[in-house]
Amino acid sequence: MAGKSERQEAYERFCVLHRFLHLVAMLGFTGLALTGFSLKFSAQGWAQAVVFLLGGLDHVRYLHRYCAVVTYACVVAHALWLLYFKFLLKGSLTGPQSLFPRFKDLKDLFQHMAYFFGKGGQPRFNRFTYWEKFDYLAIFLGMNTMGLTGVVLWFPEFFSRLIPGYFVNVAQVLHVYEAIMAVALKFVVHIISAHLRPEVFPLEKSIFNGKTTREKIMREHPGEWDVICRGLEETGSEVPSEKL
Amino acid sequence: MKRFIVLAFMIIGSVVTASEVGGEETEMMPPVMEGKERVCLDCHRCANVNTNEGVLDSRALCLECHGKEACKKEVKEHHISLMLTPDSFKGSRHQYVACIQCHTDVARSPHKFETGAQCLDCHPVHGGETANAPHLRVSCQACHRKSKFVVLDKNADRVRLSRVDDHKVPIPLTDHGLPDVSDQDFCKRCHNPRNQVGASSVVLPSKSFLCILCHNAPLVMGHGLFWAAFLIFIFGVFLTLRFWFKGSVQGEEDSLHRKIALTSETVWQAIFSREIFSILKVVVLDVFLQRRILQESVKRWAIHSLIYLAIVARLALSLVTYFAYRISPDSALAVALIDKNSPFTAFVYDFLGLLILVGLVWAALQRFVFRPVYVARESQDNIALCMIGLLILLGFFLEGARILMTGLPSDVAVYSFIGYPTARLLDLFQWKWIGVYQYLWYAHAILGAALVAYLPFGKMKHVFNTPLTLVLHHRSEPSQ
Repeated sequence: MAGKSERQEAYERFCVLHRFLHLVAMLGFTGLALTGFSLKFSAQGWAQAVVFLLGGLDHVRYLHRYCAVVTYACVVAHALWLLYFKFLLKGSLTGPQSLFPRFKDLKDLFQHMAYFFGKGGQPRFNRFTYWEKFDYLAIFLGMNTMGLTGVVLWFPEFFSRLIPGYFVNVAQVLHVYEAIMAVALKFVVHIISAHLRPEVFPLEKSIFNGKTTREKIMREHPGEWDVICRGLEETGSEVPSEKL
Repeated sequence: MKRFIVLAFMIIGSVVTASEVGGEETEMMPPVMEGKERVCLDCHRCANVNTNEGVLDSRALCLECHGKEACKKEVKEHHISLMLTPDSFKGSRHQYVACIQCHTDVARSPHKFETGAQCLDCHPVHGGETANAPHLRVSCQACHRKSKFVVLDKNADRVRLSRVDDHKVPIPLTDHGLPDVSDQDFCKRCHNPRNQVGASSVVLPSKSFLCILCHNAPLVMGHGLFWAAFLIFIFGVFLTLRFWFKGSVQGEEDSLHRKIALTSETVWQAIFSREIFSILKVVVLDVFLQRRILQESVKRWAIHSLIYLAIVARLALSLVTYFAYRISPDSALAVALIDKNSPFTAFVYDFLGLLILVGLVWAALQRFVFRPVYVARESQDNIALCMIGLLILLGFFLEGARILMTGLPSDVAVYSFIGYPTARLLDLFQWKWIGVYQYLWYAHAILGAALVAYLPFGKMKHVFNTPLTLVLHHRSEPSQ
């Protein structure tokens, strides 16, 4: 039985860059949702109040684009980091401990559902669980499609030289409905599944301070803990968590 | 009985009103025109100009007269055509804009056109880039219409389209086509060596974002000169960072990745902890207010603050201008801040420039005249001081040349309390200032770019090093 201090031993779960990108994307995304919906639902009283408080329609448009650039910059920074991770740190982008979806996630999902209904134990999650992977991929892919439709709406004159004009209308429809979906996903599903779980309620701090504990890894990500232990046995030093 | 009284009043009233109307000698629209009897809605069409159909309907009314060759006015025995063809709007950005949406004061009797086209009802003023501040006194049409004759209206202090050509022959201004603004050919109607409107004889590049240190500047890098300066600056910052990471970080000697990870972790933890408040205190007291220099010598503090705080104030003003313009381009605040001739901006820019110059002269006196023993005279310091001093001096000459060149009225220019006397001084030299201006501009721009490029190298490196050292020093000695 490990002592209390050993159980609380700190491990790094998210590096500073990831914490920073999460924070900026979080603020940017909130800004986008607020300004975007105020523009879309401009006939509503609450939207008019927001527009008034933010200094008028033109400024809300400007802020929306400003937030979009900032949020998309996070996607670009993250993509560059993926290249750095793959080629300079020689990390694996598709391995079991990565965020890449694998068949095991589907099995985990079914086993997890069974567990909720009292059949069998909890699945042995790796470094990232299936819902964490879903959250990540939803925003990583979603920001690209939102960005693409967004620039078509931002520069319609330019794009209608390259593609038929009705694509601008298509972009408008896609931009709105995907925005509603993304906001629902992030503000409801993500916040509940990441922050309002009984284990971490009211806030999952690890994305903000980057730290997790040995106990937490053993409980929430036993698959990751196995790899850390294997590293300890083989080399006498643990596998740095960022290499996983 | 009541009904009869009311009826009687109505009959008397209508008879009186009818006789009053008949008594006035107003010119009425003829009830029959071109053989067709008019009905009210022929003119009062109440077209909804927010729709394309409404726009065309509304325009059709104007073109009933303005579409005919007979539509002319007589100016000094010249017949000026007022005819427009519907084709002239084809492909134009204003294809679906009704005449009365721009010419807001014409739909009335008598039919007169006094205020001109109201471009600013829809479009914001230009806040930077190519059409920068001096263009605030240029009317929109002077650039955005195809006529190439422009004039400086000294009474209104505005550059506008001329109603006469070079030979003083009145010309029609009915061509509503818009010139292509993607190439700068149309700028040459003012920016040519023979212009009479006070424009520089060549089109000068836009200010770069690097200029935001002292000026309102757009978010573009602009001329290649600024790109070069920016790349050198980035290279210098990269060299500095590489130098910083040469040493070991918390025991890590080799891996740069680990060093950066450890440093960023420390920075992150410092930001998201209570320590940030004491760091902010150091930033305000030691970095911003220069407490340590003040403790050593009031004179040194005064010299340094005159230069440093004035530059910080210029930067702050530039940033406020930048955001004020972006938030509300048409607001009186934004226009006053981007207009170099507005009293507040003209005065504050000159005043802060003067403070920097006073600081530099004082520093130079300390170094070369009084020479107290404790003043170190490093050549690096002298280079930095010379660069800033020359930049400010050239700035004042440039301002003077601009005031002189653009023929700014003295009651406007007087708020530039250094620029305006400089302009009067420069006026003694009978040079062609519209030609000289570009050389002064490039000299100021090159020196400014050189200063930015020099920031991470010589003495100016202290702009980054000293605040960092102060914060690190504070962290290593938290008891102080």
